Amino acid sequence: MARFIGMRVAHGAVTLLGLIVLTFALQFIIPGDPVRMLAPRTPSEEVARRIRAQLGLDRPWWEQLGRYLLRVAQGDLGESYVRRQPVARLIAGRLPATAALALAGVLAEILLGLPVGIAMALSPRLRGLLSGLNLILLSMPTFVIGIALLLALGFGARLFPTTGGAGLRELILPALTLGLAGTPWYAGVVRDRLEESLGSSYVRMAVAKGLPNRWILFRHCLPHVFPALATMAGMDLGAYLSGVVVVEAIFGWPGIGLLAVQAMQTLDRPVVMGTLLVGGASVIALNGVADGLRMILDPRTREEVG
Amino acid sequence: MTAVVRIRDLEVAYGSVRILEGISLEIRKGEILALVGETGSGKTTLAMALARMLPPGAAVRGYVEVDGWAIYDLPVPVLRSLRGRLIGLVPQDAMAALNPVLPVGAQVAEVFQVHLGLSASEAWARAVEALARVRIPRPEQAARLYPHQLSGGMRQRAVLAMALALNPPVLIADEPTTALDRLTQGEILALVRRLQAESEIAVLWITHDMGVVAALAHRVAVLYAGRLAEVGPCAEILSAPFHPYTEALVRTYYDLIHGPRGEPLYAIQGYPPSARDRPSGCPFHPRCPYRQEICQDRFPEILQRGERIVACYFPRGNAQ
Repeated sequence: MARFIGMRVAHGAVTLLGLIVLTFALQFIIPGDPVRMLAPRTPSEEVARRIRAQLGLDRPWWEQLGRYLLRVAQGDLGESYVRRQPVARLIAGRLPATAALALAGVLAEILLGLPVGIAMALSPRLRGLLSGLNLILLSMPTFVIGIALLLALGFGARLFPTTGGAGLRELILPALTLGLAGTPWYAGVVRDRLEESLGSSYVRMAVAKGLPNRWILFRHCLPHVFPALATMAGMDLGAYLSGVVVVEAIFGWPGIGLLAVQAMQTLDRPVVMGTLLVGGASVIALNGVADGLRMILDPRTREEVG
Repeated sequence: MTAVVRIRDLEVAYGSVRILEGISLEIRKGEILALVGETGSGKTTLAMALARMLPPGAAVRGYVEVDGWAIYDLPVPVLRSLRGRLIGLVPQDAMAALNPVLPVGAQVAEVFQVHLGLSASEAWARAVEALARVRIPRPEQAARLYPHQLSGGMRQRAVLAMALALNPPVLIADEPTTALDRLTQGEILALVRRLQAESEIAVLWITHDMGVVAALAHRVAVLYAGRLAEVGPCAEILSAPFHPYTEALVRTYYDLIHGPRGEPLYAIQGYPPSARDRPSGCPFHPRCPYRQEICQDRFPEILQRGERIVACYFPRGNAQ
């Protein structure tokens, strides 16, 4: 186990380093002059030079990269040009909302995808109907699903608030949006794994032993579905933790995604870089967790882990 | 001796393709009946038909009775409750027959939980007993292991323990030792003989290996292209086969073991026909050295000679 974790962490650290360098390179691509953003009105040459020196922008790029790495290692992501607050604190303030939405979204994907996938594998009659519904969902972009839900259940039926916010009631529609968008993928994987399991010799043996169908499904088949499900859920969780930009924007959910969008609109360089970095780090971390979980769920790989 | 399994005029077809035809066979209490035949002859289909476990597309006609139950007249819930109690099944590949994500003990224990309504801990204790019965060393520890942690022979024993858990009157074993090395195979065969002698269970042992037949069986049924060619006591069939196909099988086997060095081995000419394209009349006639014109026209009447039956116009030996 220690060996596996060590390998994974080392692997993740290298990826993270690459990510930091990429983010650093990004600031040379983002348009806009930081001096103009920080200085009141049009600055004089002298003021502009002082600001540049203060930000270290007058140094060669490799020295800037060195300083950047050093700061990031200490958890300092710089200060927002627009809000004049540490980026780390800004992101930390948005993290609970984003984490709540990410968890709820992944939960919705599993709660919808698992039964749909099971029904598709077991019932030839439902298979056609559900495949059709999946195809419709698959062809709708996430923002269409979100807006449709908002119109129907928010403005239409008035079941849910439409004004944004970070409460439990406000969480349901964005989570449902993520869930519906992910359902076809989850259902597909569940169905494939289940059909593979249903056609296996051990299921035939279970039938020969006289076990009831429900027993065979829950005890013999579903354990073969969970490792794949864990991998998908882990990867999605990582991706959503980096901010679900579209969904957060539609529902006014104050998460990292919304922060990133606003930062990009205002050319707030440090915040753009910070949100990218935190998002990327969460993807790397959760992928590692998903790999570990998948190995633990399968006894054949468990020993290699433990 | 009373028959535990009675099969009358069994026919199995998938659409227009007939896999089995005109099968009438009995398996008696306390005997091991070996079902011999080449790949594609319908051995596994016969075994699955006995347990009513053929895929939904199979059309089954005829009568199958196991321990007094007419298998194809039973409603599905009754059938399910009888599976495992009536027939123990040991499928071909023991590794695949065990679920890789469950400890072997749990896979034996669930039989007791479902059929006898035992609690998990009671069932576990019974599972350990069942594993001990098939001579798995240190069964308490072995029960906690996953299939991939056991050797091929131990996995085969674990599957045997599952099949025999409820002491069914009939055991169907579908070439269970084919994937094992000779030494392990010998151990399993010895174990089955001992268990069979203890419990008087009727065993249908499917194999294409005449060595296994000689070592294990009381009686032999020879299947060729979906038809029974010959049935009779093992010693008689091995020493004086009636059917030309059986004769060829036996000769191939003896040649392999006792044939003079350097001489070419005896082999049956031709190939077994596929189920889609079977010859008319006696299906063996294209490969038979004794064939005459009549063999191509009609399947022969079944001849009864004491304990033996044979389906051939020109049987070998003293059958005439």
